[in-house]
Amino acid sequence: MSDPTPGAGATQEYLLELDDVQAGYGRAAMVLRGLTIRVPAATVVCLVGPNGAGKSTVLKVASGLLKPRSGRILVGGRDVTGQGPQEMLQSGLAHVLQGHSVFREMTVAENVLLGAYTLRDKQKIAERVAFVQNLFPIVGERWKQLAGLLSGGQQKQVEFARSLMVSPDVVLLDEPSMGLDPKTTSTVFEQVVRMRDAGVAVLLVEQNARRALETADIGCVLDLGRVHITGPAPELLADPQLSELYLGGRPAERSLSQNG
Amino acid sequence: MTGTLLFQSLVLGVLLGGLYALLAAGLTLYFGVMRVVMIAHSAFLILAAYLAWFFNQQTGMDPLLSLVITVPLFFLVGVGMQRLLITRLRAATLTMMSVLLTFAVALFIEGMIGFVWSGTQRRIQLPYSGASIEFFGARIAVVKLVAFGLAALSLALLYLLMKHSRFGQALRATIQHREAAQLVGIKTDRVAGYGFGLGLATAAIGGTALSLDATIYPSLHWHWIGPLMAIIVVGGLGSIPGAAIAAMVLGIGQSLLQVPLGTTWAQTIFYVALFATLMLRPQGFFGGRLAQRF
Repeated sequence: MSDPTPGAGATQEYLLELDDVQAGYGRAAMVLRGLTIRVPAATVVCLVGPNGAGKSTVLKVASGLLKPRSGRILVGGRDVTGQGPQEMLQSGLAHVLQGHSVFREMTVAENVLLGAYTLRDKQKIAERVAFVQNLFPIVGERWKQLAGLLSGGQQKQVEFARSLMVSPDVVLLDEPSMGLDPKTTSTVFEQVVRMRDAGVAVLLVEQNARRALETADIGCVLDLGRVHITGPAPELLADPQLSELYLGGRPAERSLSQNG
Repeated sequence: MTGTLLFQSLVLGVLLGGLYALLAAGLTLYFGVMRVVMIAHSAFLILAAYLAWFFNQQTGMDPLLSLVITVPLFFLVGVGMQRLLITRLRAATLTMMSVLLTFAVALFIEGMIGFVWSGTQRRIQLPYSGASIEFFGARIAVVKLVAFGLAALSLALLYLLMKHSRFGQALRATIQHREAAQLVGIKTDRVAGYGFGLGLATAAIGGTALSLDATIYPSLHWHWIGPLMAIIVVGGLGSIPGAAIAAMVLGIGQSLLQVPLGTTWAQTIFYVALFATLMLRPQGFFGGRLAQRF
């Protein structure tokens, strides 16, 4: 369970690796203190942990919004430490921010096409538009509408679609269920699974830990800026001690019967 | 007030409103992009008017031709100002400090104009300065029409640029959600610099238009910044369409009020509108729904 490379042999190729990363904001204390996370292809890796554990910071470091103080970041085995968001995007990394981050006063079409801002090939862009419209039907249905007028769940799907325009290898999702009702949350998690099934690796940060681990393949428990425990998500869900500490209560009967 | 006089005032109001609209568009752009309150906007306006006058003095050519120089020049100055001055302000206090910083820039420009060209009032004399045309009984000075045409054309270009160009998309995305814009690969610092340059370019065009028809002197900009600030608050800070609509409405209002109240008191319409906006709808009459939209 404490093996840093769970669910995989040592020879497995990782799409995203954060290696012994330290990072923080301004002169404040370090938020990440020697954090190591590895994301294999077509896998959902979920970060759970208490508030202030540094979950969102992990994603900001991975996408280049925040430069690490030390440690290495590798995308597809290539060292990209210290690069900005533009370079990270080109390396195959897309980041969907916490809360609502659609361009509210622009149409769904403009939002999605801005996802292809770095692409020049019109043919390729048209292909990607067809792809995301197929993956998220609501995007096609609301194509001409202002994104800010969509419901929270629909906006999330527009954000997903926007992030997938560049055909990323890894998508970083920061609290995709935040502020959504349970039914919409389920839809959003279904979309996460569909993204994975489409071959995208997902690094997911969630407050709603139990729900997220039910979706994820691998879970990492973060505490005080380090990965505390990592392992196959079903095992984490089934662990009574973990449940008590991080998941808010004992594991559900269903998880127990599945894994125990 | 006779019907003809009313109509004449209305037409003049529309022409004035067009110029206000262009200048207010620039002013609201700085706020939209950078949350900067650009007190020096009207100082650059007067500087452009002086440059148009100086160009006319030196070459004898039409002051409109000075746009070829002043528009690119102001654009570059705007980019430089944003990259070298504004970005040095701390994000937390940027809006407040930008008032002080750009106030200083305004004083500097005013001082330099006085130093270089003295405090003497200047006016461009053109072959068509006195010409006017009759429009359904109203007499309209040709220079006012030219100024309005220039402003309208520039606003239309600004609209097309913002709405349909790749740069415009990037700028609007940066205004609406900076971090998300970075994450789709937009170099937001560069785009913000260009946005600032664009705002200053509107001052270049406005100043040239103004020089056709106004007597200029170094401290003239103080007469402009108040109404322009009022316009962008009434229109909703950061909203270019809001600024354009408010500019037109208040420009016409000012022009109509000049007949019964005289020019000095007619100016108060801006401040009355400002008070009313802050009391009734502080986000601006076209902010919120129209804000940041095109």
